[in-house]
Amino acid sequence: MGELLNRDAIINLVIFALLVAVALGAHLAGDGFTVTLATKAAIFGLAGVGLNLALGYGGLISFGHAAFFGIGGYVTGILASHASSGMPVVTLPFTIMGSNEMLGIWPVAMLAGGVAALAIGALSLRTSGVYFIMVTLAFAQMLYYFAISWSRYGGEDGLSFYVRNTFPGLNTFAPIQYFAICAVLLALALVFTAVVTQSRFGLALQAARQNSQRAVAVGIRPYAIRLTAFVLSGMIVGLAGSLYADLNRFVSPAMLSWHMSGEIMVFVILGGVGRLCGPVAGAAIYILLEHVLGGISDYWQALLGLLLLGIVLFAPGGLIGIVTRRGRHA
Amino acid sequence: MPEPKLNEPILEIRGLRKAFGALVATDDVSLDLRPGEIHALIGPNGAGKSTLIKQIVGEIRPNSGSIRFEGQVIDGLDAAARARLGLARSFQVSSVIPDFTVLQNVMLAVAGASGAVFRFHRPALSDRKLTEPALFHIEQAGLADRHLVQAAKLSHGERRKLEIAMALALRPRAFLLDEPMAGMGLEGGRQLTSILSELRNEAPILLVEHDMDAVFALADRISVLVYGRIIATGSVAEIRANPEVRRSYLGEDA
Repeated sequence: MGELLNRDAIINLVIFALLVAVALGAHLAGDGFTVTLATKAAIFGLAGVGLNLALGYGGLISFGHAAFFGIGGYVTGILASHASSGMPVVTLPFTIMGSNEMLGIWPVAMLAGGVAALAIGALSLRTSGVYFIMVTLAFAQMLYYFAISWSRYGGEDGLSFYVRNTFPGLNTFAPIQYFAICAVLLALALVFTAVVTQSRFGLALQAARQNSQRAVAVGIRPYAIRLTAFVLSGMIVGLAGSLYADLNRFVSPAMLSWHMSGEIMVFVILGGVGRLCGPVAGAAIYILLEHVLGGISDYWQALLGLLLLGIVLFAPGGLIGIVTRRGRHA
Repeated sequence: MPEPKLNEPILEIRGLRKAFGALVATDDVSLDLRPGEIHALIGPNGAGKSTLIKQIVGEIRPNSGSIRFEGQVIDGLDAAARARLGLARSFQVSSVIPDFTVLQNVMLAVAGASGAVFRFHRPALSDRKLTEPALFHIEQAGLADRHLVQAAKLSHGERRKLEIAMALALRPRAFLLDEPMAGMGLEGGRQLTSILSELRNEAPILLVEHDMDAVFALADRISVLVYGRIIATGSVAEIRANPEVRRSYLGEDA
């Protein structure tokens, strides 16, 4: 097992290094567009890493993670738009001003994602199977329609902010610098996931996925374990949403829609469910296909569908599973 | 934890009743498990043995009646809390974590029993508070050298032993073993019989079993469950001689 673990670690490093190499290479070649694509891959990968904690390690098939992605995005958009207008976000019970500091925005986005995950998870984790999928979907769609009707922040048209939020010492407008921020956060999330999934908590989470009755019989309460994983997952995805909002300097209800939930799920399944770097590989492939195939045909998603079908049928370990020739990760 | 008085039952079931619609699966069952004993629960298929076990471990709630464990009423506790008190259960169909190694399975039980599963940063595999007791119980259950094997790859008999190691890791005050002999070959059954007779030194055993040879070899007392009712409780000799038991259950076996 130790040998295979090392092999997994090498593959994880290779995937991450490839992403960084693409961004750096493009930067040196003066190709800012590709750097932005790599940034998008890092952000989507981060969202996938977040979902993977719930879906891959916890077996919680959430079809509503767009909720946390969108909440992270809206927190960022709202704080940034208030920072530029100078109007407080709320005045009662106390005054909260906007912010254009990433270091201030990220914790709020993560907190909001975590609180939303706590509320949604507390209710939806009382169900399982298809019902869990449907309940998480329903919550995300509720937020989606709320955002559409929330005219104060752009409603259906979304909310633009013209200046990317700032980070001390960096020029966030330079594509490679913003990529560096996203890549570092992605790396931190990967380390966090690796540590948590190997801890006692990770042992309990994976046990509850595989055999919940057995977990109970040794004194573990799966509900509490799963809810914790769901909240951590929501926080990471909230952070990814914040970065995505800053990448586009725009948030819209689309970030909350079930398409988004499906996309995040596709990153995880493409790369390999329950694999540390699976979602990163999945997101990168997704964006690659979107731009290579998307340039050839508007129907590129049909090909994506075929690829997904092939993976699910013939390689349930995803792309990483193909490389390691192994089923799912314990 | 209050130390129970000598000979006061570890597990005390009083007037337990559970009905599913018109079907009364558990009908006014009272049962004791005393320190040091192996108490076998036998009965034909559909007698309600599994339903009774599920009520004892807290997986389903009885309609009425009460269960005391080491003097404490546990009716309000969920299954996880009862496990942490040391009510260790094995399943009719082997139930382990298939992708985990033997070691990880038993570590899980050690962690669960400790109640401290919300630890996020330390790698479990290098946590000696988990690995040392786990390895000890693996050896106790006769699985030494197999601790790095994935549970899914174990033979049926080894999986049974793994379940016993996990039960031991709960620092059990009572074992509830649901047909541990099921599907074991002759040799495996003999091995398991000797392991079970040692287990009683750890804690008393409530043994649900179909294998009459094992029951007669191991049990100190036997209770016979038929249609949800206990029709007799007594020593091996008493049960063998009981005409009602012979008629309703042992007929072809004895």
